[in-house]
Amino acid sequence: MADYQNLFTRVQVRMAPDPGVPVAPGTWTRSGRGRFSHLLGIIGDAQVGPVYLGTAGLVSLVFGFVAFEIIGLNMWASVGWDPVEFVRQLPWLALEPPPPELGLSFPPMEQGGWWLVAGFFLTTSILLWWVRIYQRAKALGMGTHLPWAFASAIWLYLVLGFIRPLLMGSWGEAVPFGIFPHLDWTAAFSIRYGNLFYNPFHMLSIAFLYGSTLLFAMHGATILAVSRLGGEREIEQITDRGTASERAALFWRWTMGWNATMESIHRWCWWFAVLTTLTGGIGILLTGTVVDNWYLWGKKHGIVPEYPAVYEQPAVPVQPGETRGYLQGTPPDTFPGMRGARPSPNRAAQPVLPANPAEAARNPANPTPIQQPETTPQGTPAERGQPGAAPARPSPAAGGDTTGRGTP
Amino acid sequence: MTRAATRVAPVALAVLAAACQPGPKETVQLGFRGTGMEQVFDRDSLARAVAHNILPDSIPPIPATASRAPGNWQNVQVLTDVSQSEFNRTMVAMTQWVAPQQGCNYCHVPGNFASDSIYTKVVARTMLRMVRDVNRDWTGHVGQTGVTCWSCHRGQPVPNNVWFFTDEKQPLRHYLDRQDVRVQSASWAPSDANRSSIKQTEYTYALMLSMSRSLGVNCGFCHNSPRWSSWEQSTPQRVTALRGIRMARALNNDYLLPLQPTFPAQRLGPHGDVPKIQCATCHQGAYKPLYGAKIAQQYPAMYWQHSAGGAVPTNPTAPLDSLQAPVPTAPGAPTLPVPAATPTPGRQTQPPATTPP
Repeated sequence: MADYQNLFTRVQVRMAPDPGVPVAPGTWTRSGRGRFSHLLGIIGDAQVGPVYLGTAGLVSLVFGFVAFEIIGLNMWASVGWDPVEFVRQLPWLALEPPPPELGLSFPPMEQGGWWLVAGFFLTTSILLWWVRIYQRAKALGMGTHLPWAFASAIWLYLVLGFIRPLLMGSWGEAVPFGIFPHLDWTAAFSIRYGNLFYNPFHMLSIAFLYGSTLLFAMHGATILAVSRLGGEREIEQITDRGTASERAALFWRWTMGWNATMESIHRWCWWFAVLTTLTGGIGILLTGTVVDNWYLWGKKHGIVPEYPAVYEQPAVPVQPGETRGYLQGTPPDTFPGMRGARPSPNRAAQPVLPANPAEAARNPANPTPIQQPETTPQGTPAERGQPGAAPARPSPAAGGDTTGRGTP
Repeated sequence: MTRAATRVAPVALAVLAAACQPGPKETVQLGFRGTGMEQVFDRDSLARAVAHNILPDSIPPIPATASRAPGNWQNVQVLTDVSQSEFNRTMVAMTQWVAPQQGCNYCHVPGNFASDSIYTKVVARTMLRMVRDVNRDWTGHVGQTGVTCWSCHRGQPVPNNVWFFTDEKQPLRHYLDRQDVRVQSASWAPSDANRSSIKQTEYTYALMLSMSRSLGVNCGFCHNSPRWSSWEQSTPQRVTALRGIRMARALNNDYLLPLQPTFPAQRLGPHGDVPKIQCATCHQGAYKPLYGAKIAQQYPAMYWQHSAGGAVPTNPTAPLDSLQAPVPTAPGAPTLPVPAATPTPGRQTQPPATTPP
């Protein structure tokens, strides 16, 4: 009578730890001989270690720790070094990038300078960690699929925090450090650029993200379902297909009409995961640099559904000056974390004023007053009949209240 | 361990479910189908909110047969147009609305009711003028419902949800001396016409969320979320809300800021600024204050009975074409650095003549 045999077992074997395959001698060696953990054995291999740290890994950890400390201490300082408030408000605390009017200059430390320093240390740490896993993959004679997949995530990270801010000319475009603050940034980013859902690369990224979860579920479920037939021994099944692989393939041909192979399913998963962040990064990179309003872009290209107006609406004209932050170089009032003396604004972030003032005056979206009415007790120059004066702009002082409402 | 898990899990699930408001819901569709413009009202929450928005005891009206002669009062400056009995009824009502615990002497000097030596009386006079102006000038926002002292005060000398200058309240300066709220571009391509930053967007976001919480509604009450700025896809409530923003701005500037010398220091904020209103001051979590109860109509003193109100009569439907209403820089506001490219308040007095009305 056949036994039910399943290698997924709750029995944990104890023996001398496996030191791993021999590697070429270098400056570093694996540290420790390895030990066993029962708890980790429940969810994976019970053996812990030996670990290879290496120069890149060690420096990466140190830099990452420095970034972590800078972010944490800045957050703690923002609540006046109160430990209780720090814990209570931690999800809402932030280390914000510099205010937008500072452009790409190195800001004062309390106005985003710490953000820039923390970003440097964190970025260096992440890049060194990439070097580490690339070196380890090479040392083991593996392919470099892992470091390149990691590089795809790093690409999105760099676009968000480094490349796009450079293109936009302001560190203030970057993401703050913080739990809810970075989520708020995400919402604000979509709002500012006219709804990111109409960004086709955002669509692709979502498709690959959801596709990744679908592939993950399909593959994981398939292998678990044939594990009683040895299906989890994938490598053997690739080269010497046994009944597990045959049945798994047959299942999908029955249900889906077609099946990936034991080898190609992993390419499917790898590419879907990699393309999630790759396309996402492209979408972020195009936002604000090439496209400023994705809804209107989508309307232009016919991907926005037209909904009929449900209500009779009064005409509400868009007024000049209604757009907030008409120029990035102007400070957005006083925001938390933007206290203290302001340095002189970054000239690079200053508006390019049209050469022709009349042209600027015609542009309702540009409220920069090239010609302010010269209001005197005698009225504007135009009211005084001076030639070449600006068109009469009634001002309250000149008795030309535009609101229809008197000042009590 | 398994046993502990079986004990903890139901508790954890119950806690999670409690956050879900499991009670019955009312869903109201507000926009075209498929747009998701709908309000979901949790009946239990709504019942609690309705119970919170209680009405004051009504005071019997003056019989029609009563004398209409005005009283022979001294130092009456606003209520000059109501009869003596209506005047007394109004005083009783105002006491009930604003200072039920403290009584007449919260504003009046005992024995000398004409005296202005208690600051609250001067404030009350300004507020009474404000109420009458609101009921006349801002019907575009308050409709025929009107407002009374109770709309905000709810039996307290200081209403709920007034605000002062702090870092956290910065977005509320839109109700005072900041006008620009739009951050989305009018065309798909980037240009220098709109270089709003993410931080400025977060500022707008914070303002909108404060409005949402003030009214106990979500974004879809006014907006169609794919295109926030589109008026065509918005509900009429958004127009009402726009008028409300202008009303709050006007009331803060015209009535509350001038009271700064009147208020004693303990009524002022950390920057020495007067208490200011926002949507929540009157709405208090209801999409209509007091869910639309018409109290003001029972009190003639809440309305100017003739045009001698001291203020210039204006457009009764609240000017929609006056987005550029002059907004003075508030006295006592924290000094803001003004960059070279930003004009002085002259920017805010640009006429709307460049766009069609």
